[in-house]
Amino acid sequence: MAFAKAQKTRAYFKRFQVKYKRRRDGKTDYRARIRLINQDKNKYNTPKYRFVVRFTNKDVVAQIISSTIAGDNVMAAAYSHELPRYGLEVGLTNYAAAYCTGLLLARRVLKMLEMDQEYEGNVEATGEDYSVEPTDRRPFRALLDVGLVRTTTGNRVFGALKGALDGGLDIPHSEKRFAGFSKDSKQLDAEVHRKYLYAGHVANYMRILQEDEPEKYQTHFSEYLKRGIGPDEVDELYKKVHAAIRADPTAKKTGKPAPKEQKRHNPKRLTYDVRRNKLIDRLKALNSAADEDEDDE
Amino acid sequence: MPAGHGLRSRTRDSFSRPFRKRGYIPLTTYLRTFKVGDYVDVKVNGAVHKGMPHKFYHGRTGRVWNVTKRAVGVEMNKQVGGRIIRKRIHVRIEHVIPSRCTEELRLRKKKNDELKAAAKARGEVISTKRQPEGPKPGFMVEGATLETVTPIPYDVTNDLKGGY
Repeated sequence: MAFAKAQKTRAYFKRFQVKYKRRRDGKTDYRARIRLINQDKNKYNTPKYRFVVRFTNKDVVAQIISSTIAGDNVMAAAYSHELPRYGLEVGLTNYAAAYCTGLLLARRVLKMLEMDQEYEGNVEATGEDYSVEPTDRRPFRALLDVGLVRTTTGNRVFGALKGALDGGLDIPHSEKRFAGFSKDSKQLDAEVHRKYLYAGHVANYMRILQEDEPEKYQTHFSEYLKRGIGPDEVDELYKKVHAAIRADPTAKKTGKPAPKEQKRHNPKRLTYDVRRNKLIDRLKALNSAADEDEDDE
Repeated sequence: MPAGHGLRSRTRDSFSRPFRKRGYIPLTTYLRTFKVGDYVDVKVNGAVHKGMPHKFYHGRTGRVWNVTKRAVGVEMNKQVGGRIIRKRIHVRIEHVIPSRCTEELRLRKKKNDELKAAAKARGEVISTKRQPEGPKPGFMVEGATLETVTPIPYDVTNDLKGGY
């Protein structure tokens, strides 16, 4: 016996319209997606590329994606878990790591399209706003897709954006959201931005902890200390990583062979015969149980 | 109060979204491409207010004559008074579906080309013309028994219902 009147009647469920699957999962913002994918009809089948940046708890994902009716096509991808290959093993989700991932993706795409000699991009990361200058062949254009992230000033998404811009991609942007943009003076402080690109803010925190709370410094930055990276080595480390990325951005194939059978993520649909047989078995079981009850009584 | 003959009058049902299909429209509508000369059906999507055609064109099929940034130009016939005019309208992508009216023809053309090529290889001449359905063939009726029905003489007592 319910205390209150049931709120969700059968009628409620009958009229309920579910949102799209990816909206229910909270993964896709369809309003933004429609506007990013919509290509001018008088450009017919020309693909429109999105520079997608997503953050997980331990990884940064940067991809170049174009959309078709059959599904989205990932042209190139870069993950921050590839950065150990270039010499960066710790701090894989900070602003500087996002910059490195964006840079890696940009160089990878340009190398794939054989445009990497033409568009070197900004070799020395100074933190200033840099836009690609078009040469004979027009630059590779993509649109930034942030997903569901709140675009505040200094967000790591814009770190990845800066990496891609310095790598040589043409992505329409404004410097308003880079770390170091001051709302009062309405200007990007390139020095501050450069600090963030080379994880200067991390180095600062390391210095503060070293002075005030050495035990916390030991626990918090244990991985850095294990590799002998102190607050002064951070800057040099990232310079080397940038150079290594520009030297060889090609993706490395994993050694794993493709599995013989594709892994199923949902249960397979039963055939009509199987379902009918299951029903017959269930009815038989019910009947035999009912007979037993009758016999007992 | 008089009825009113505004632009969207009498469109309460035709422009409304179907049951449980309101809200964002699926992305395929935006990903489709249209070329000049394609046949398209005009079907108004009430969720998108821009670039809506007039209610007359809802359910009509026409050919694409122009492609712009977010819309296509469609031309179709309209009877005005005693004559038929060829009308050209511009409609946004969301209100247009690729028509399947020529699908059957295209498939048949492809199949006929294949059949003709195969016949040519064998050296025979075949006709790929469609034939209308003829009269059904004759058949023998199986398992029929003959039952002769004759009228019976009229009996007053049978017909009287209830008491007599």
